[in-house]
Amino acid sequence: MSGAGPLEDDLRERLAKAEAALEALRRGEVDLVIGVDAPLAVRFRHLVEENERLTREWQTTFDALNDAAFILDADQRVIRCNKAVERVFASHAEAMIGRPCWEVVHGTSEPIPDCPMRRALLSLKRETLEMRLTDRWYRVTVDPILDASHRLARGVHVMHDITDLKSAHEERGKLQEQLQLAQKLESVGRLAGGVAHDFNNLLIIILGYGEMVLNKLHPQDPMRDWVKEILGAAKRAADLTRQLLAFSRKQTLQPVVLNLNDVLRNLDKMLRRLIGEDVSLEMLLAEDLAPVVVDPGQIEQVIMNLVVNARDAMPQGGTLLIETANVVLDDAYASSHPGVTPGTYVRLAITDTGCGMSKEIMDHIFEPFFTTKEMGKGTGLGLSTVYGIVKQSGGNIFVYSEPERGTTFKIYLRATEAEARSVGPKPDEVRTVGHEEHILVVEDDESLRKMLAGLLSELGYKVTAAANAGEAVLLVEEVGLNPDLIITDVVMPTMSGKQLVDRLQRARPDLKVLYMSGYTDDAIVHYGILDPGTPFLQKPFTRHALGMKIRELLDTDRAKPLCGTPSSP
Amino acid sequence: MTQPLHSVENVQAHSLKPRYCLRLFVAGNEPNSAKAKAMLARLCDAYLRNDCQVSVVDVLQDYQAAIEYQVMVVPTLIVEWPPPVRSILGSLTDEDTVLAALGLTKEGNEP
Repeated sequence: MSGAGPLEDDLRERLAKAEAALEALRRGEVDLVIGVDAPLAVRFRHLVEENERLTREWQTTFDALNDAAFILDADQRVIRCNKAVERVFASHAEAMIGRPCWEVVHGTSEPIPDCPMRRALLSLKRETLEMRLTDRWYRVTVDPILDASHRLARGVHVMHDITDLKSAHEERGKLQEQLQLAQKLESVGRLAGGVAHDFNNLLIIILGYGEMVLNKLHPQDPMRDWVKEILGAAKRAADLTRQLLAFSRKQTLQPVVLNLNDVLRNLDKMLRRLIGEDVSLEMLLAEDLAPVVVDPGQIEQVIMNLVVNARDAMPQGGTLLIETANVVLDDAYASSHPGVTPGTYVRLAITDTGCGMSKEIMDHIFEPFFTTKEMGKGTGLGLSTVYGIVKQSGGNIFVYSEPERGTTFKIYLRATEAEARSVGPKPDEVRTVGHEEHILVVEDDESLRKMLAGLLSELGYKVTAAANAGEAVLLVEEVGLNPDLIITDVVMPTMSGKQLVDRLQRARPDLKVLYMSGYTDDAIVHYGILDPGTPFLQKPFTRHALGMKIRELLDTDRAKPLCGTPSSP
Repeated sequence: MTQPLHSVENVQAHSLKPRYCLRLFVAGNEPNSAKAKAMLARLCDAYLRNDCQVSVVDVLQDYQAAIEYQVMVVPTLIVEWPPPVRSILGSLTDEDTVLAALGLTKEGNEP
């Protein structure tokens, strides 16, 4: 019997068809499989392609993340990770998948104590952590993926590199700290300045009348000693207020162009005496040092205060180094030091090899009445004064110190192109007695005005007093008063001393003027600067200082220029 | 001059006394079905020169026809004439296989 019947042919044919169908399926060329009962809509190729596209897209997106991202399962094992992970950990994804995250990330055999994934397992919400890995800082976030029964199925563990942010933040913090310190000093300065101003006016009265009383007393009068005591105390109080004014930057400076090297050379002898034999003084002064614009008296005070401080920091002896240099402070330096504007500066550095100080102390050293010296040894105003003078002179001061190593104070003063004038010995003392010259006193404080008038009469002058600028103008322009000298306060209500003098000098350009001032809020004094060469007396002053200054002015043949630069052509 | 034909429907409309009788089972415009329709239109145009009748059956509209013709997967092309009846399964991308099933070579001549 032949084996191949029609049934067998039919079966063979069906089999061949089935195989062809399978082959078409494998090739992905089938949209639909025909079932006997219902269509099986199997869009194979389409689905496969779509799936592949989505997978590719997902991975591309995942890899495009600059942050190292892991997907972790509930047991904290790595399910997948992106390219950034491979970069950060210098390892291939295959080597990390399946391993617990603590092994991969921290190289530990168990979870770290503050593991954010651990926390997310309990909280079921985003958990974060800032951590350091080798030399970089990361902000880690773990976002949970919850399953249908609201349990954590996966965690998306992302590590965002915040190293730059962190250092910027630290930098900002440092700047903030410096700024706060400066602001604190500023406000303490304002307070101190206000108090000092009021004190000055009181002291000037005490000193003035005290000296008048002393002059009237018989040389043998036992009360002379008591009055001298009063005057001595008032002078000491005046010194204190002067320092407070210096700190509060409300002193009236009389800046001149000078070379710091000259100042230091002039001070050399005195400084050596001051520091004693146990401390050796070295000066490294830059050749061709640029001149600066400062008040010579004030800068001397700055140097002396710093030197005294350095000496006190080296009770067992040591080396005191004073250096000067021309420096350029660039944008980078300025941006990291608040208050500094880029430019050319002269640097004065004073370094000691003493006991140094901690950061905590450094934060306070410029505050008035802050002192590390024992009771009675320091007023706590030395460095405050230094700070105030440097700041008011438009400079900057920075301190560097290490406990047991020493301290350096660096002062930066703007270099100027003007020519320095030589710093020489002070002019010989002149007589203080007047010869009936006529002086117009303009002062708005009544008791001060009265005291001044009394003092000047005592000294032998003819005095007319005016309570304000308007009265002075009236006296000169309407009444025809013709004083030899006008002594005026810098700041007065309605019209300032400067405005008054400008007006009076229109008619009398040779009119001699002496300004006087304590702290005031006026713009001229606010910036602390009367034009160089302007005759000026700082309140409070002694009878002697006043007398000398007046003689100095009256004995000069012609009026000194009141302004450094003419105000109009 | 023979007009180029761009769709299966056109082929069908212009073939009055066909030498070939073809039935294409498709599933709407699913990717493989769309591809099969386009391939068949191209082949008819290039090799059969209008001398064919093509019926396109959309199984999404007429599922029963697929059962009757014992179609297992879609797309499927059944060559009903000339005999023997043959089936070509898939999206007809392999041109040689389709031509062989029609008893043609690339030059359009019968072997």
